[in-house]
Parts: sequence; C-alpha cells; structure tokens
Amino acid sequence: QDLAKKNTANRQVVEQRRRLLQEWLGWRESMIEMLKEEGAEIELNGGKIRSEDDEGAEEIE
Amino acid sequence: MRPILLSGHERALTQVKYNPDGDLIFSVSKDHVVCAWFSHNGERFGTYHGHQGALWTVDVDPHSKLLATGGADNTMRLWEVDTGKLLKTWEFGSSIKRVEFSPDGTQLLGVTEKRAGHLSTIVVYEINPDPAAEQTSEQSLRIVCDESKATVAGFSYLARYIIAGHEDGSVSQYDAKDGELIYNVRAHDADLQVTDLQWAPDRTYCITSSKDKTAKIIDAGTLEVLKTYVTDTPLNSAAITPIKDYVILGGGQAAMDVTTTSARQGKFEARFYHKIFQEEIGRVRGHFGPLNYVAVHPQGTGYCSGGEDGYVRVHHFDKAYFDFLYEVEREQAQANL
Repeated sequence: QDLAKKNTANRQVVEQRRRLLQEWLGWRESMIEMLKEEGAEIELNGGKIRSEDDEGAEEIE
Repeated sequence: MRPILLSGHERALTQVKYNPDGDLIFSVSKDHVVCAWFSHNGERFGTYHGHQGALWTVDVDPHSKLLATGGADNTMRLWEVDTGKLLKTWEFGSSIKRVEFSPDGTQLLGVTEKRAGHLSTIVVYEINPDPAAEQTSEQSLRIVCDESKATVAGFSYLARYIIAGHEDGSVSQYDAKDGELIYNVRAHDADLQVTDLQWAPDRTYCITSSKDKTAKIIDAGTLEVLKTYVTDTPLNSAAITPIKDYVILGGGQAAMDVTTTSARQGKFEARFYHKIFQEEIGRVRGHFGPLNYVAVHPQGTGYCSGGEDGYVRVHHFDKAYFDFLYEVEREQAQANL
C-alpha cells in the first residue's frame, strides 16, 4: 500500500514536470517567433554579433 | 577538472564577466584594479589602472574591443581591451553601481548611486565601437529613479527596454528610447534589494537575485515572474546557463551578520537549480566568504565566481553536468529525434 502511494506521488511529480517543460518550450517558441518577426539578428544568434567574415551573414538594420 | 583560482586581487571581488568568445574573464574589485584573465588557464592578460576608488562594475562590448567600468570614484570609464588604454572618463556626483552595453554595443548604460544631493539615475551614452574614435560626453537618455533607487539595470532584446532592479525589491521596465516608465512590479520582498540582473542569451528574459533569498526569472516584455528559486541565504548574484536549462545562484551572509554557528555551516556555495523545474540539483563549494558574483561562459562550458574572499574561481563543467537529464527531458529529447 505504501508503495502504491509512493508511485502515485511520483507519477504526480513527473506529470507536473512534463507540464512545466511543455509550458516553457511553448513560451520559448513564441519568443523565437517574435524575435524573427522583429528581425532580431543578434538575439537569434545567441547574443553574438556575426563577424564580417561569417559566410552568408546578412545585416539587418 | 579542478577549478582555477585567480588570485590577483587584494580585496573583495564585486563583478566578473566573460567576453563574448569566453576566452577572457574581466574582474573588478574593491582594490581599485580591473584585471583581465585567460579563462582556460587563469593567466593574467592585463590590468587597467586609473580608478581612484573601489570598483563596482564591469562590462565588455560585443566585439571584445571596449571595456566599461564604474566605481566609487564617481566615474564611469571606457578602456581599450587590447592595450589597456583609457579612452574616456565620464564623471558623476555619486558612485557608478552598474554598467552594461546594449546587445549591439552601440549604447552603454550606467546606474548612479543615490546620495545627498544626488538622485539615483540610469544614464545612457551612444558608443562608437571603434577604439580609435572620439566618444561623446552627451547623455542620450537620463532616467531618474525617484521612487526607489536603482541597484542594477540592463538592456533587453533589441535594446527596446531598460529593465532595472531597485533597492525596494521591485523591478521596472523603461522604454529605452524615451526613458518612460512602462511597468514596475513587486518582484521581490519589500525593502530587500535586487542585487543582480543577468540576461538569457537572447535577452527575452532575465534573472534577478535578491537579499530576500530568492532568484526569479522575469519576462522582459511583460515583467511577469516566470520562475522562482528559493534558497536559505541572501543572494548577491544569479546567472542563466546556455545549453543546459540551469541557473547558478551565489550569495551568503555578510561577515557582520554571520554568527559563529552559521559561519561553520557555511553557505558560501554556488547553487545550481534546474531552470524549468525550479529544483536544486547541486552545489559547488570553495569560497571562504559570500559569492558576490557568478558569471557563465557564453558557450555554456563553464562558469566563474567572484568572492568576498578576494578570489575568482573558474570552473569548467564536466561530462556529468552535460549528461544530467530529468526523465521528462529525456522523453522530450527522444520525441524530437
């Protein structure tokens, strides 16, 4: 019986984490969409400015 | 890998910062000296002399060419990273508590201390990224924080907002163009100051730390508190790790507040929390006093901490750090294959 209780508790913890992870990933996706719409080149490159010799880099002002 | 100890400072560290490539670490201390170090072996790259008081803050521009510092001598200074040359000195009526470049490096903000006859302000200067260029003395923006003094501040994504933390525990969002206050939220406990504010790589969210023993992740656009990390000690600093979804928190009771018992217990550890699940996952010991600042390598391969004990400790993450996954994260990774 104790084991059954423990399993239920564990399952709830895992469910909660699954929910938090999905919620976070969903929000991140919406932020990346927003940055794309804004043409946020540096931000979408992890905060790094592409150097001039980076191939295929395009400057968006 | 054993941590590297950087022992060039004679007094408490106040801020440490990696450059964008992560090969250099800049450190400032109450000993008036700015140091630059190679992050892979801890050898000194150079020092920057000129400040006449304790230093509170340092930042490096996104091209790794310009270094900004601020301190108790009421000056904010700009240096050339490679030569140590002092390029510009801006003078104020009170200490500079925080400096930060905008994401593209064309703006620099400074937070000035509140003092008799001087209001707390956030000032912004346009910066010419060329070290050979003349820098302006004209402020492009000046925000007066008369409600509660600002302790920390930084630029959001696209330098759209300036987000500031205050002495009263609140966090503000200002329009970075005209300085207008948009929101002020009570993010931390009343009258327990916000001690640090660091950004996620894309600056859509930041993490704040406070003397209220918590750190919070805040949405830069809405100022909504998304995550809360609860600890048992006043926090001085908080950082977000790239690659892995962790945050690193540093703090500890100041010496004058420590009873012999709690000193023995020691809370001078860097604490790792899972960013999404808000659970503590590990601690790293080492410092003999509070951690005043923690900074993460921009590529997420390590971190360094600056302590009240006068040392900078540089850690390179090991395999276990990268391998660690919660069951639901593993599920998610497999679902994406």
